[in-house]
Amino acid sequence: MSDPATIIAGLLTLAILSFLYRDNPIYKMAESLLIGVSIGYTLVIVWTSTLMDLLFKPLFSDGQYALMLPLVLGLLMFGRFLAKTSSLSRIPIAVMIGSGAGVAIPVMLEARTLKQMSATVTPLVIESGFPDLSAIVVIAGVLTTLSYFYFSREHKGTLGKSAKIGTYFLMIFFGATFGYTVMSRMSTFIGRMEFLLTEFLHLSG
Amino acid sequence: MKNIETRHWTFLGLFVCIGLVMLIDVKLDIPVSAQTRKMFDFIDSLPAGSVLMVSFDHEASSLPEIRPIGLVILRHAFAKGHRLIGVALLAEGTVIGYRLMQKTAAEYGREYGQDYVYLGFKPQYIAAILSMGESIPRTFPQDYLGRPYEQFDLLRDVDNYDDVAAVISVTDGSLTTHWMEYGGARYGVRVLSGMTAAMVTTFDPYVASGQMHSLVAGLRGAAEYERLINREVGGERGMLAQTTAHLYVIALVLLGNLIYFRSRRKRKSA
Amino acid sequence: MDRKVALGVCFIFGLVMFAQYFSQHPAARSINQAILEYWQIIFAFTLLVGVVSVFKNNVVQIRRGQDRSYRLITLAGLVAMPFLALIWGIKADMPFMWVFENIQAPMQSTVFALLAFFVASASFRGFRARSVPAAILLLSALIILLSRSAVGTFIFPQMTEVADWIRHYPSMSARRAILIGIGLGSLTTSMRVILGIERTWLGGGK
Repeated sequence: MSDPATIIAGLLTLAILSFLYRDNPIYKMAESLLIGVSIGYTLVIVWTSTLMDLLFKPLFSDGQYALMLPLVLGLLMFGRFLAKTSSLSRIPIAVMIGSGAGVAIPVMLEARTLKQMSATVTPLVIESGFPDLSAIVVIAGVLTTLSYFYFSREHKGTLGKSAKIGTYFLMIFFGATFGYTVMSRMSTFIGRMEFLLTEFLHLSG
Repeated sequence: MKNIETRHWTFLGLFVCIGLVMLIDVKLDIPVSAQTRKMFDFIDSLPAGSVLMVSFDHEASSLPEIRPIGLVILRHAFAKGHRLIGVALLAEGTVIGYRLMQKTAAEYGREYGQDYVYLGFKPQYIAAILSMGESIPRTFPQDYLGRPYEQFDLLRDVDNYDDVAAVISVTDGSLTTHWMEYGGARYGVRVLSGMTAAMVTTFDPYVASGQMHSLVAGLRGAAEYERLINREVGGERGMLAQTTAHLYVIALVLLGNLIYFRSRRKRKSA
Repeated sequence: MDRKVALGVCFIFGLVMFAQYFSQHPAARSINQAILEYWQIIFAFTLLVGVVSVFKNNVVQIRRGQDRSYRLITLAGLVAMPFLALIWGIKADMPFMWVFENIQAPMQSTVFALLAFFVASASFRGFRARSVPAAILLLSALIILLSRSAVGTFIFPQMTEVADWIRHYPSMSARRAILIGIGLGSLTTSMRVILGIERTWLGGGK
């Protein structure tokens, strides 16, 4: 006989799985509970790990009064709930958006663009004098796929042919991604089946 | 029966196939891939007592797949005597990471504060990653349970990424990208990752460029790692079911295309 | 007026965070650390706003009598978690942890597990080799699926090597091109945001 926790987890699992037949009240109840508990959980974690840790304790216990500024900015977010004050919430949003954009510029340039470009430029001929087919495939793939995403000119002539080849590379990527995604989703389902068969129903050891 | 549609039969087929296969206790022989071996070799080659940061950057939804991956990494690290700092950059990963570290540490008799510390969650992952690069104690003045950072022996000499051998991001999404781009590019921290299989193709360019040191992917990656550390975490057990699921999907694809091309030929000849 | 103030704030913070990347001066690092902390604190408040918003919407819908029982369950869950954390804390083996491990996590992972069924159904109903690109997509997916199963090498001994080559070279190159494109796009968008050219984040209204 399973313990109460396992029984509850098992029943809720079956309630969610009932959606496969069709939407029904049992699934809806389970879903509503999930939404409520998830939001409550996030509230607790954010409160304890961030607001207490980084704001209230340093501000009220340690006297770091400079933290009044983020406190005020944070409270301005609640201005959204009234029409008269809703525009005030733009200011804390501006702080976040501006900061994010500022740190992103050097990072996007260095880590995402230049590093990837430099990794593409590799020797195309190996020591023995034979062409490195894999390196040629990589350069061809990157250039043709980039040409596919170049929309400032119509895809005709050489650009059109290049974009078409780029499409094929993209299809290889999407196919590979689909294959791995199937693998991933099946793993998640297998995990739930394992729980149902071993811990909940005791059908498997 | 009127409400039973074609999709219900495909659902039922999958349920029955996986269900039946899971009642058979068979472990398949899984060869270890080069990339799993690379992560294993890295953790294995670190001197005992090295400090590793493990970041639980995932949600509860991917737990069945991500838990075995997290387990193998933690078990290997604890077995080698490494010291671990746990953090989470997604809220749901917080509790999962805490429990996983606690349970795994107990298996190896590791002591909280000396051998591992769990710092918990910080929101806005980009800000958190950048902030840790400057000062980990300022980012996490307290651990997950509210005890001061300075209290722990393990953390006494850990100020930022310079004092950490590597960051291992256990993820089900693209958060590891930010570790590499903000942590790796800006502060030079080495980044490894345990991830769900769905994310593998997303990170391939980073592995190829060296921005990510190595990765372990999916239940299969966990099964491979299991073999290397000689400890079972459920990866190998799921492989027969995984194989069955793949063959089922392949069969559905081929059947669907067969039906499509036959009906297309009929329409052309009509 | 408010929009101009917000644009000004965005410009200042954007410029400061961009400039500090190039400075190791203690003052710059101090400002950097402070702004990063402010950023996290404000973000935490946005999450709070979201929670209050959900609470408010559910109360309104309950008053209107729409899906009352489901919304009451949602609110009960929403209120229960902070209550449990307040009374018993968030340590292991406490009620808060119990609810997460036995209610939230199982349901959340089962919702995700439903995708396995929909993927299987979509594979049967939608995955057709209608054209050359579609056929390439299909072939790539089939090779990966076979290589990741235990029977791939029985069908073709070099299946794993072929699949790995596909993943590490042609597939990777397409993904790399996408990354480069995203990188350049993000770079220009960030510059436009800081300079106030991109204003969609301001929303509507005055």
